[in-house]
Amino acid sequence: MCRGASGAEVPTEYQVKAVFVFNFSRFLEWSPQAFTAPNAPFVIGILGDDPFGARMEEAVRGEQIDQHPMVVRRFRNMGEIDNCQILYIDRSERAQLQQILLAMDHRSTLTVSELDQSSERGVMVQFTTENNRIRLRINVESARAAGLTISSKLLRSAEIVSTRTGN
Amino acid sequence: MATTRIVRQVFGAIPLGRAMGRVVSVIDVAAVALLLLCIGVAPAKAGDMPTISELKRLNLEDLMNLEVTSVARHPEKLIDVPSAIQVITQEEIRRSGATSIPEALRLADNLQVAQKNSHDWAISARGFNTNLGNKLLVMIDGRTVYTPLYSGVFWDMQDYLLGDIDRIEVISGPGGALWGANAVNGVINIITKSARDTQGAFAEVGGGSQPRDFVGGRYGGQVGSETQFRVYGKYFDRGHEVLGNGNLETDSWRQGQAGFRADSEVSVQDKLTVQGDFYQGREDQQSGGTADTSGGNILGRWTRALSDESDLSLQSYFDQTHLSLPVSPLLIGGMQFSPAGTFYDDLTTYDVDFQHRFRLDARNRLIWGAGFRHTHDAGINAPSLGFLPAVLDQNLYSLFLRDEVHLREDLSFALGTKLEHNDYTGFEFEPDARLSWSLNSTQNLWAAVSRAVRTPSRIDHDLSAGTPPYLVVLKGGSDFTSESVIAYELGYRAQLNSRFTTSVSGFYNEYNDVRSTSFTPATILPLYFANNLQGDTYGLEFSGNYQSTGAWSLHAGYTLLREHLRVKPGQFDLSNGINETADPKHQFSIRYSLNLPGHVELDSGLRWVDSLLTNNGPTAGTVPAYFELNTRLAWHASERLELSLVGQNLLHNHHAEYGFPDPTRVEIQRSLYGRLAWRY
Repeated sequence: MCRGASGAEVPTEYQVKAVFVFNFSRFLEWSPQAFTAPNAPFVIGILGDDPFGARMEEAVRGEQIDQHPMVVRRFRNMGEIDNCQILYIDRSERAQLQQILLAMDHRSTLTVSELDQSSERGVMVQFTTENNRIRLRINVESARAAGLTISSKLLRSAEIVSTRTGN
Repeated sequence: MATTRIVRQVFGAIPLGRAMGRVVSVIDVAAVALLLLCIGVAPAKAGDMPTISELKRLNLEDLMNLEVTSVARHPEKLIDVPSAIQVITQEEIRRSGATSIPEALRLADNLQVAQKNSHDWAISARGFNTNLGNKLLVMIDGRTVYTPLYSGVFWDMQDYLLGDIDRIEVISGPGGALWGANAVNGVINIITKSARDTQGAFAEVGGGSQPRDFVGGRYGGQVGSETQFRVYGKYFDRGHEVLGNGNLETDSWRQGQAGFRADSEVSVQDKLTVQGDFYQGREDQQSGGTADTSGGNILGRWTRALSDESDLSLQSYFDQTHLSLPVSPLLIGGMQFSPAGTFYDDLTTYDVDFQHRFRLDARNRLIWGAGFRHTHDAGINAPSLGFLPAVLDQNLYSLFLRDEVHLREDLSFALGTKLEHNDYTGFEFEPDARLSWSLNSTQNLWAAVSRAVRTPSRIDHDLSAGTPPYLVVLKGGSDFTSESVIAYELGYRAQLNSRFTTSVSGFYNEYNDVRSTSFTPATILPLYFANNLQGDTYGLEFSGNYQSTGAWSLHAGYTLLREHLRVKPGQFDLSNGINETADPKHQFSIRYSLNLPGHVELDSGLRWVDSLLTNNGPTAGTVPAYFELNTRLAWHASERLELSLVGQNLLHNHHAEYGFPDPTRVEIQRSLYGRLAWRY
């Protein structure tokens, strides 16, 4: 509210990131097996602290992918992670990143994070910021390993990285 | 005693009781209305962020070209900064209703801010907030603004269009290893927005009881796609304040300022900034007459990014200030020793700084730099006040190196030092060691030990009050050396979740060679400055922030400060060690920001400042403790138009914040102003 408040012309970082996360659902293909039922929801999960506030809900409100209505779920820790199509891993999960990626290994879930070097460690999409602009780094191998196909349109606007071991 | 005084002040200020039997002024009515408003309203529910749906219509390329403000970035970064840093954001400045930089600085819990009269302030961190306070380094966009006359800041000469300030970083504690001499107890960095962030037109106009009227404007445009610029101008007229008995004081102030800034991305790697400002002011003086101030500066900065973790920057500036100050006659016991006159000072500064940051290997990140500053200070002495020599050229050379070592993923250690050479004391060495430990990604513990110095200013070394052939009563000490501090700090900083951030820092400082006043037994006069004091201070700074999802936020801050200055064994100080401090032991503040339905904003800030001892030579007097309240009510009539009403110092008709308790002490009045801001 109070739209006229400072910087009406300039959106905040997490407004834009929420819209990016929403857009990923358009530029990727999930196999029907990724859903428990033909009309099961398309779930965007947020693991750890939530930097988006209400913005993620706003981004997906009223949206659906095929027959799947989009919803947002929040997971306080790894154990709570339910079936989800996109998982945003917050900075607060830095220490557990390796275990999280291990646990997500056999699921058709797009992992997204802004943790430094996270794409090299196996996160599929990493946000970085450059000159106050948001950039994407995409690890194509890990997406492919999870059975996800990323559209070339999205790949063209991203930096492609590959998994580096021993980090 | 202090408590009865507080109770009396708070209850004496309840406007309804006091208004009985006398004419209620418009201001009182408005103040009461504001008070009632801030008590009576409940938090509103967060509304929609309509821009999300607009953002969703953009394609990927457009999204990637969007510039974003990262509200979360500063606090996030702050978590890892191993020093007592607080950041005042543009949003906080705007919502505080501040009309000047000193008023905005009240938002930093780790500063002591006291208004002396309409145009003068005393501002310091961790104590020593005297009339000649000298232990704080202040920079605007990398340009140092303290005066070499007394190593303090003429706050009336530092201004900007407040809406174009990006943020103010306030670091309490020594910053000598990076920033050099004078960063003894703190550093203030005022950072203006890039021209890219101030595109379009902006205009504001307003007035009330204080400031009486003001007007400001800015236009930002671009030349090609890679170069943006802005030009701005402002003018204000501040009325007088009052004496303790309510009589008018002659301290009105008018000032205008204009300036520009251009930022260009010359290439993918290179950025160029050129900016400049010019101002002119007139200040009525308590002692009669009018002081004239004016000045201008131009700064250029080039930065080249070599990689993510490496960059170079080269900055140079030219700065000129002019002051003409009416000086009273020198009277002792009713006898006049020198007549009234005018003191003139024209200071010219040339400065060049170079910095290079890079990663040496997997563990070591280095930053080093070199600087040179030349000052030409040309004074014309008044009979009662002057400097000998009246004209002085000085050179300052500096070099610094800092290595940040990543010991483990959660542990880093930084070691650095500055090496400076100045004309008064030669080489100065200011080392600093900092350890930072991330308990987890949201909590950080840090500890630091540092040494910093305050090199002599012209007042310490060259003062002559009065000037020959008249009687010299007080003069600078030709042997005056640097004051020094060894500071021990410990801090904790946490972003406990996305809503709640907090920081606590504690310090223990050991000072040596602090300024004192001596005399020669055979002649008594002139008195002269020496370095006969030493002592220690300790204290605590707390601040906490709670941000709900958009509708409201709450901020609280508290500062504890204890100071123990004493005369060195076997030595002498005319004022027995009480002349270098004037600080409250405790101060706290609490403020909230509330977004109400219908695009209405409501903000209030309550502050309490403990009593402070203030000195007039060897006798000490007291400024009573006080509560004060500021409130702002604003309505965004449209995307482009903002109307606001601001009440400052609402709890008292007038209250003292500074100065020796005699009939000439100036008090600050309750004030109210309205403002209309328009952007396109």
